[in-house]
Amino acid sequence: MKRSGRSYFERTLDGLVAGIDRTRAAERHAEDGGLLQRVDPRVKVGGLLALVVAAAFARNHLTLVGLLAVAVAGALLSRLPLGLLVGRVWLGTVLLTAAIALPALFLTPGDPAWRLPVAGWAVSWQGLRTVSYLLLRVVTAATLTFLLVFTTPWAHVLKALRVFRVPVVAVVILGMTYRYILLLLESAHAMFEARRSRTVGRLSPGDRRRLATAGVGVLLDRSIRLSGNVYDAMQARGFRGEVHVLDEFQMRGRDWLALAGFAVFTAAAAWAGR
Amino acid sequence: MKGFDLTAVTCGYQQVTALRSLTLGIPPGTRVALVGANGSGKSTLLRLLDGLVFPDAGEVRFGGDLLTEERFGEDTFAYSFRRSVGLVFQDPDAQLFNPTVFDEVAFGPLQLAWDKREIAARVDETLERLLIPHLRDRVPQRLSTGEQKRVALASVLVMDPEVLLLDEPTAGLDPRSQSQVIDLLVGWAGGAKTIVTATHDLAMIDDIADRCVVLQGGEVAADRPPADVLCDLELLRDANLVHSHRHGHGHGHGHSHPHLHD
Amino acid sequence: MHIPDGYLSPSTCAVLYAGAAPFWYVALSRVRRRLHTRVVPLISLFAAFSFVAMMFNIPLPGGTTGHAVGVGISAVVLGPWASVLAVSVALVIQALFFGDGGITAVGANGFNMAVAGSFVAWGVYRLAAGGSPLTSTRRVAAAGIAGYAAINVAALLTAIEFGIQPMLFLDASGAPLYCPYPLGIAVPAMMAGHLTVAGMAELVVTAGVVAFLQRTDPSLLTTSAGVRGTTGSPRTLRPLWVGLGVLMVLAPLGLLAAGTAWGEWAASDFADEAARKEIAAASLNQPPPPAPPQGLARLSSIWTAPWPDYAPPFVRSAAFGYFLSAVFGVGLVILASACIGRVLGAGLRPPDKAGA
Repeated sequence: MKRSGRSYFERTLDGLVAGIDRTRAAERHAEDGGLLQRVDPRVKVGGLLALVVAAAFARNHLTLVGLLAVAVAGALLSRLPLGLLVGRVWLGTVLLTAAIALPALFLTPGDPAWRLPVAGWAVSWQGLRTVSYLLLRVVTAATLTFLLVFTTPWAHVLKALRVFRVPVVAVVILGMTYRYILLLLESAHAMFEARRSRTVGRLSPGDRRRLATAGVGVLLDRSIRLSGNVYDAMQARGFRGEVHVLDEFQMRGRDWLALAGFAVFTAAAAWAGR
Repeated sequence: MKGFDLTAVTCGYQQVTALRSLTLGIPPGTRVALVGANGSGKSTLLRLLDGLVFPDAGEVRFGGDLLTEERFGEDTFAYSFRRSVGLVFQDPDAQLFNPTVFDEVAFGPLQLAWDKREIAARVDETLERLLIPHLRDRVPQRLSTGEQKRVALASVLVMDPEVLLLDEPTAGLDPRSQSQVIDLLVGWAGGAKTIVTATHDLAMIDDIADRCVVLQGGEVAADRPPADVLCDLELLRDANLVHSHRHGHGHGHGHSHPHLHD
Repeated sequence: MHIPDGYLSPSTCAVLYAGAAPFWYVALSRVRRRLHTRVVPLISLFAAFSFVAMMFNIPLPGGTTGHAVGVGISAVVLGPWASVLAVSVALVIQALFFGDGGITAVGANGFNMAVAGSFVAWGVYRLAAGGSPLTSTRRVAAAGIAGYAAINVAALLTAIEFGIQPMLFLDASGAPLYCPYPLGIAVPAMMAGHLTVAGMAELVVTAGVVAFLQRTDPSLLTTSAGVRGTTGSPRTLRPLWVGLGVLMVLAPLGLLAAGTAWGEWAASDFADEAARKEIAAASLNQPPPPAPPQGLARLSSIWTAPWPDYAPPFVRSAAFGYFLSAVFGVGLVILASACIGRVLGAGLRPPDKAGA
């Protein structure tokens, strides 16, 4: 597919397809037999979140690099291919952060480390430190989140949030939302594909705007009608205002081990990064 | 066991009157096919039977109990009714709103506050009965239409209702899945339970029902055994369930006879 | 506008989580009370819808394209509290499953977009639409403005949260640990993009969808069109006061700021060597003038606050003193608002309308 001159349709479709693909990939890997896949979801949610927080607190590069190394090791042991990690998670994150942080190299006050040849702008040591903090933190957090989502079925991720006292209502709403995101992504995709096949030539900006708002409107209409039917279906099976979830999680030996592992890493990171 | 009694029921929504002064009785243990073209009021009737909507005029009774909004406000009545009557919706996207198949089938029993261990056992048992135990942890979104229909059925059958209401159970299915669903319904019924199936697929009504109620314009146009209805071409044409047109059979001359298209 | 991990310090994230939490709590309580209505699937589907709608490229005048967040239409159709939930749910899912926005930043993003965005959108819409009929053009315009305002308020809050990072959180060598751009850069940079592109995208989508709904199903627009009970009884708002209390407990985190906050210097600091170094470091390395500016010297002698430097003399611990001051300060503000509210009178309550 050509990169340049992509039509309006293609760009939107690509975004939708990327979303669908990511969920499919996550589901596939979550069913694999790697290390983290076998750990209790509550331990994973708590443990990985603790590591993300430790990364947020870290005040030196060594700790951040250490946390990143632990995250990458976890990914490899869970049979998540490195190519997937680098291509899907790191590439986008690094590019985006680099774009945002580039000016900071020059703007951060401090001792100059290097000067640009022609313009004479100075890159300060502090600027380099700051940009490296940002990059490391963002990539580490993204990797840990990726670990959680690609080794745990999403329904379990949401149910495991109960360990943080997230109310049942919220968990149910989160679960239902995710389920219908998948549906709407595919609806929107079908809608745009159908429209594209009937369109000859390029669309004017006004046309595109109308198409976008019409698309949004149709999606909204569908969503609201569906929600009415879903409510009927819930009522038909006994829903009367109290939501319940069935939580089958049980801690086994290896889950306690994993919990201990997370605790050790977090403590080490907290101490080293203070 | 309980049956339904509808007396002079009028029901509409959004300025459309779906049912006009309809009177119908469904004794317990009967199998009824509800046929009619789109817009004839089939879905509304099913929703009335399931206590999801209430009539603008007339009465709907289940086992003598009047179905009203106030009545459904009472916990004991609501729970006992929801357990006794199950409705399988036409649109699987509305019926399957839980994250996994297991959660979906467990939803009903959870709402009815069954014991949690018992729920897990019952869910697995129901999945086995419907030949889909391998779908236990799958996401409903990713299943084929046939599989989704089975999950939808499982989510209702798990509560072992005495009345089963079905809205277009074979719509959108390929022929093999259709026959599987029909076999299931025929097998499970065993004559002991009440089944009401709304469909416009005339081909199956003889298999799944002893009685055929034809709806037309919100009223009962006929109420006879399926075989009778299938032979009454005039009735079927009036109710917009069949049509005639010319076509060839390969001899080079055309003729027309009533038949169905899906 | 989604804040990723790493741009805000843990304390900033914590304070914003604490700020969003009471709103989440109240919103959930209200939903729970209305669970017998269609609210649960409606919120879920709305969150799913706004998630997907966010992905649409909206072509804008000038040849750019933007993405809408959906908080405008969310607030108009669902009302502010349900909108808080719907947008928050979409944000959580984006952060967890799609890598858009950081997990530590969910509180911040929730506060900026879901909470502030929803209430600003709802308030502006109500104000601008007035009592005009549901299908009027005025409502379409009001919706557009509401969306625009909501996005820009959210962007401003984000910019402020970004901008204070390099003032407060530096490592030993003076390098910012989190977002490196001070207010002077963060605010213009963020506002430029949102006042033009993102705000316009939200305006277009919110107005367009309201117009669409006016044609297809106007009943959906009744939720925010003058509904009773939107301000909530005092009991349901109690968690908000609790939240305020939590924020005050966390206020001592302000003490984590290495030294004095920017601009809050006393005239005497200009003579003190250590203080001078601090001022310079906080002001992009501009050395402070040798003597305090004359205006500062004059003014600072006029008003000596009863609690100079925030710590009442009889309190030994700095943190507790700060906390007491915060309590007192907030109390004063609340008292003042209550008085003003009473003075403005009870005639401002919206008329009772049936429905929703």
